[in-house]
Amino acid sequence: MIPLTGDSLTLLLGKMYENSIEAIFFIDRDGKVLAMNPAAENILDTDVIERMYRNEENSLCQSCQGYMSEQEAISCCNCYLVSPKEDFSSFQVYLKTRNQGIVPYAASYHLIDETSGTRIFMLLNLTKQFQTQEKLYQSKMLKYIIKAQEDERKRISRELHDSVAQELLSSLVDLRVIKYMNVNEDVLRKIQQTEISITRLLDDIRHLSVELRPASLDDLGLEAAFRSHFKGIEKNYGVLIDFSAELSAARYSNEIETVVYRVCQEAVLNALKYADTDQVYVKLFEQNGYLQLIVRDEGVGFILDSGEVKGTGLGLYGMRERSELVNGQLTLTSDIGKGTTIQLYIPLAEVRIEEEALQ
Amino acid sequence: MNDKPRYNYQKEIDNLRSRFGLDFVSVALVQPAEDRFVLTWQFVSGNINNRYKRIALQSGKGIAGVVFKTGKPLLMKNVNMDIGAKDLFNYPIIVAERLQSLGALPLWSYNRVMGVLLFGFRQENALTEALFHLIQEEIGPEFGSLYAKERVIE
Repeated sequence: MIPLTGDSLTLLLGKMYENSIEAIFFIDRDGKVLAMNPAAENILDTDVIERMYRNEENSLCQSCQGYMSEQEAISCCNCYLVSPKEDFSSFQVYLKTRNQGIVPYAASYHLIDETSGTRIFMLLNLTKQFQTQEKLYQSKMLKYIIKAQEDERKRISRELHDSVAQELLSSLVDLRVIKYMNVNEDVLRKIQQTEISITRLLDDIRHLSVELRPASLDDLGLEAAFRSHFKGIEKNYGVLIDFSAELSAARYSNEIETVVYRVCQEAVLNALKYADTDQVYVKLFEQNGYLQLIVRDEGVGFILDSGEVKGTGLGLYGMRERSELVNGQLTLTSDIGKGTTIQLYIPLAEVRIEEEALQ
Repeated sequence: MNDKPRYNYQKEIDNLRSRFGLDFVSVALVQPAEDRFVLTWQFVSGNINNRYKRIALQSGKGIAGVVFKTGKPLLMKNVNMDIGAKDLFNYPIIVAERLQSLGALPLWSYNRVMGVLLFGFRQENALTEALFHLIQEEIGPEFGSLYAKERVIE
């Protein structure tokens, strides 16, 4: 690198002025626009540019919607043009742009020529950065929400299973004891009916507990949890689930197991809601360092990206978000009349390394 | 729990079906203690598949579950209007048998619902209120070892 001087510096500066995606304005001591580069002309409304060429005062105000101060998100108080004494080396400004409405810009406004009082006002579009930020924030929030939901479900599920159901079970045992005591027929019949109700209630509570979050998922792992879940589906909906697992009782991190369980649950539910079939195939296996889940049906199928949403449309979104939690990949294929297949790949090695790094 | 000899429900529901031109008739009964008293469809007439055999109902869920829990007759003249596509999967027997119009009655024993009688058509609005009452009357107070109307203990 050599220090630039003279012509080559002028040339480069000229090119930068012409081609930079940053909008550059030169502004005199009265706040009038002296010149602007093509990038700046591109973002402003044509009539605002005309006013500027006519040297009208406050022509920039036609576009500027205000800047972000410590007091307000969008403010005109102590405007950078009016009170340039304050520090405006880096701030955020909102401009009304041509065709794109109000857009946030990262701005810098400072003196470049003390004798004439000329200042430079430079703008860089922040929309993309904001979108990235928002997306990051959203996915972070979603992770928290999913975790909070899982934790809460686990807590209620445990409570139901360990205390409510246990208590009921002991009442049921008491009732059965009464049956063998010396009671008359009317009482016996009543007791029998009560026994039926309580047995049923006990089953309902167990179902509820499993539905919230199966204890078997934490205690025994994916395969066991799936087996009992599918048995429940079969009974509740009359749909057969053909489940094959080749995990040989392997255990994965709690996060992975939860994601696989929930994604599968949602996929199977979708199949039995919309596929119009009474058989769903679920396959779970490990291959080439990936944990894979395949949920397939031979039902009616649907057109991807048709925009026609049968349900809330949230289920699929939720599945994707959940898979992203463990760097998993979700693919969906569907053909009219042939059925739908959902595949989930979760890389195992990466997560293990990450986990080790954490420890 | 069955005090009377085993009743021929199959014959009864076959008759009911041909008499009123129904597409589907079924009886769900509470199972004995060995099966934890679950409610399952035991007898069917006019079924198009055997999916009903797999269904075990939780009380409060599905047609039989609702009738079982409320103890009230239920009439759905038009399934598509009364349930809606989003919720239909919660009613497996309707989905499996493609019913469009149906009625269900609780069957009692000693003031407890012990069974549910379901009948319906695969055509919208085929089961009218008038027909629903006619069928209720036809069945009369007794149905098998159970009775079709709640009895008040004096």
